[in-house]
Amino acid sequence: MEYVGEHLGVGKVGNLFVIFSFVFALLASISYFFAAKENDESASWKKIARITFRLHGISVIGIVVSLFIMLQNHYFEYEYVWHHSNKAMPMRYILSCFWEGQEGSFLLWTFWHVILGLILQRTSKNWEAPVMATISLVQAFLASMLLGVFVFEHRIGSNPFTVLLREHPDFSNIPLFGKPDYLEKLDGRGLNPLLQNYWMTIHPPTLFLGFASTVVPFAYAIAGLWKKRYSEWVRPALPWAFFGVMILGTGVLMGGAWAYEALSFGGFWAWDPVENASLVPWLTFVGAAHVMLINRNSPQSLFITFLLPILTFLLILYATFLTRSGILGESSVHAFTDLGMSGQLLIYLLFFVFLAIVLIAINMKNFPRNKEEEGLWSREFWMFVGSIVLLVSSFQITFYTSMPVWNKLFDLHRAPAKDVVAFYNTWQLPFAVITLLLIAVGQFFKYKHTDLNVFIKKMSYSFIASLIFTAFISYSLNYFNKPFYALLLFAAVFATIANADYILRVLKGNVKKAGASISHIGFALMMLGVLISTSKKDFISQNTSGKSVESLGKEFSNNDNILLTVGDTLTMGKYLVTYTGKRYEGINIYFDVDYFTKNNDGTLKKEFSLSPLVQTNPRMGNIAEPDTRHYLTFDVYTHVTYADLESLQAKKKESLDEYDKAKNFPMKTGDTIFSSNAIIILDSLSTKFNKTNYHFSKDDIAVMAYLRVLDITKKYTATPIFVIHNNNIQPLSSKVDPLGLQFSFWKIDPQNGKIEISLQEKKENTRDFIVMQAMIFPYINVLWIGCIIMIIGTILAIMERLRTMKINEKNK
Amino acid sequence: MKKTHIILIVIIAVAIGAILTTLNNTSTYASFQEAKDSPDNEFHIVGKLDKEKETIYDPKVNANLFTFYMRDNKGTESKVVLHKNKPQDFERSEQIVLIGKMQMNGNEFHASEILMKCPSKYNDGKPQEDK
Repeated sequence: MEYVGEHLGVGKVGNLFVIFSFVFALLASISYFFAAKENDESASWKKIARITFRLHGISVIGIVVSLFIMLQNHYFEYEYVWHHSNKAMPMRYILSCFWEGQEGSFLLWTFWHVILGLILQRTSKNWEAPVMATISLVQAFLASMLLGVFVFEHRIGSNPFTVLLREHPDFSNIPLFGKPDYLEKLDGRGLNPLLQNYWMTIHPPTLFLGFASTVVPFAYAIAGLWKKRYSEWVRPALPWAFFGVMILGTGVLMGGAWAYEALSFGGFWAWDPVENASLVPWLTFVGAAHVMLINRNSPQSLFITFLLPILTFLLILYATFLTRSGILGESSVHAFTDLGMSGQLLIYLLFFVFLAIVLIAINMKNFPRNKEEEGLWSREFWMFVGSIVLLVSSFQITFYTSMPVWNKLFDLHRAPAKDVVAFYNTWQLPFAVITLLLIAVGQFFKYKHTDLNVFIKKMSYSFIASLIFTAFISYSLNYFNKPFYALLLFAAVFATIANADYILRVLKGNVKKAGASISHIGFALMMLGVLISTSKKDFISQNTSGKSVESLGKEFSNNDNILLTVGDTLTMGKYLVTYTGKRYEGINIYFDVDYFTKNNDGTLKKEFSLSPLVQTNPRMGNIAEPDTRHYLTFDVYTHVTYADLESLQAKKKESLDEYDKAKNFPMKTGDTIFSSNAIIILDSLSTKFNKTNYHFSKDDIAVMAYLRVLDITKKYTATPIFVIHNNNIQPLSSKVDPLGLQFSFWKIDPQNGKIEISLQEKKENTRDFIVMQAMIFPYINVLWIGCIIMIIGTILAIMERLRTMKINEKNK
Repeated sequence: MKKTHIILIVIIAVAIGAILTTLNNTSTYASFQEAKDSPDNEFHIVGKLDKEKETIYDPKVNANLFTFYMRDNKGTESKVVLHKNKPQDFERSEQIVLIGKMQMNGNEFHASEILMKCPSKYNDGKPQEDK
């Protein structure tokens, strides 16, 4: 069939670029390989290599532009566009659509490699050829992920320019596609609503730049091994390592901030496999940057200097494999689905693992060995220990996160522990303590050898100050019965004070040189914020409904939900809360909750309102988003865990005027019953009432019930009548319209002197309610401030390093 | 003995510790029958919601109690009492993972955690006509 209106041109161009990008990356890698040989031909090889890498770069940008044109113009004939966008979506989310899918995120990653490669072409001087050979090879592997060609019936890569109907021939059975002009009526599936926020615009590019930056120290390390220049590679790679640490760290932290602000995880870190997959390379990257720093000052422990930057890049590949092969499946909420590329990803990973092992193994015997061990009281020794701690800490996280991999490899059936978070925290807390203590003392050690007496004298002020400060905070947070918390608290406080002391007394306030100390303070404050906000997290929402869950056993006492009925005011922590109702805005339903505190005279003072929301999406499922009130010293974080959305929607259709099913109440005079909005008392029964308004015949028996109906402000009366007419019961009902109530008098039971009143309520009376969770995170701002300080400090350190590098070059 | 050797030994000790505690800190994916056989242990059970039978959630009585019936992957069905709120979009779940213990003489599985896999989130829906 000929289809009308398809824009196949742009896809063909894009596809051409995909092939070009792969071919040129491969060519660049080969020619850089020969250029690195340093023989007569290497100069001409280098020329070819430079041109081919630039052509590769142009091709990658060509792919990016083609994909943008397709997304911008809603070309739903392409599967990627159909899959990740739709017409209704605001255009500001076009970037999010671009990298929502696997192909787009690979493209983002490749793009950053291109940018880094182009910078390295200009700056890496005599390292260009061997470094760029590795980077080009990495690019060839990444470009192959977009190829989407079949080799021996095995598909290589997933192509973003696939045309929907050609990829899914089965779709042609759908009536829509039977028409040549199907495009006129086709709309995309749209972007997952969870991802429609600004975080999705800034988080992925930052994180992927962080991922991409790990390739530079890796390529330098490989080049160092290959060219047997075992120590020289460190100097040019060092600023890149710190740049990468800064960007990757920012990316990971942004993920945490996103989770806290917009997702209902109930916190900023859940030890989710996908989070861990990017945290672990950051930890080893920090270790790598520090051992590289040691190597600059005392060229020792070469093995670990090579191991850590190489491992960091391999862990990024491993993370890619974990999150994109579908192997995490059940254990993570936000892993990608399998696109049938797990085999390819595994080859990619194993290739570089093998390359690294072989290169290190060949060269290890040639590593120069220092006869002399580094001194116990030297800075390099303790920095080395710190890096090892980070390595061991990442090993623990990786091993546990990889459970699904072990299950597959060894055919186990092990499921993660019930409380994964607690398990990780228990393990990581000691590592954090050691790291922080090392951060505190590290800079007070001198390279080679430190005079211990001077060291102790210098440290003593901050040590004592920290002890006092820790005791004070421990007292106010009640940490005395939790020694490990107190220990971590002390370590974080000590690290902060000691580094501040270093800036003031040793560096004399020279901020330019204080990059390391500032970022260390940032890290210490971050850990302080993590400790206090996590250990003192307080669920203020408690189940205040009568029935206790405790009777079912202590282990099930997760009593952290509260039921709020519209209009009622309940106590929640130090607040009184009222659910005032819901608002519909587009696909979002906001649940407005007011928070009050009590004044001294008992009146209520409104503090603030929060509107946690539920995003409705019939195709992808409803999603709850939290709403948080930020104060300087604490946050009130709330999210809706249950709202009866189904009956809400059903209710909109039918008339609210209808009465609900009747409820029957046997009553004696003086008895009280409750409706949802009133108290009803049976005052009396009488046969002697004014019957003029009724048309009774002589033989009829009629009894009137006098009901007093009280709501909070007013008093009403209802008078249903029990009538027997020709031996049939024909009661006359009575309404209280302002309250939407209707009473009927059905039965008289002379034996026990009771009558039966049936009560009907209008459907609108069933009041709306939500189930909500609310918690207080104290001092979480310390965490965020720490993050920012750490980033600023790292930037200062990079600037200082670049500056000294320039001075060194001039002096040469 | 050199300092590096001491460090190496410490690393190996900690690594072994990490591996062992990890292995001890996992539960197993199991069936209702296995959970019935050892009611003291905690299990992960994977299965599907029985959509024929009723689900009970009355937040006005208890917002942290939700009852439903699930069929595990071996086909055994059991009543499940979840000590949490009813998850949003529960009926749409394709697969459920429960974490908990068998109680009431093996008649009720009491779960403290639930993980759901919703097909809708990432899976391809078929193209639809624009309305």
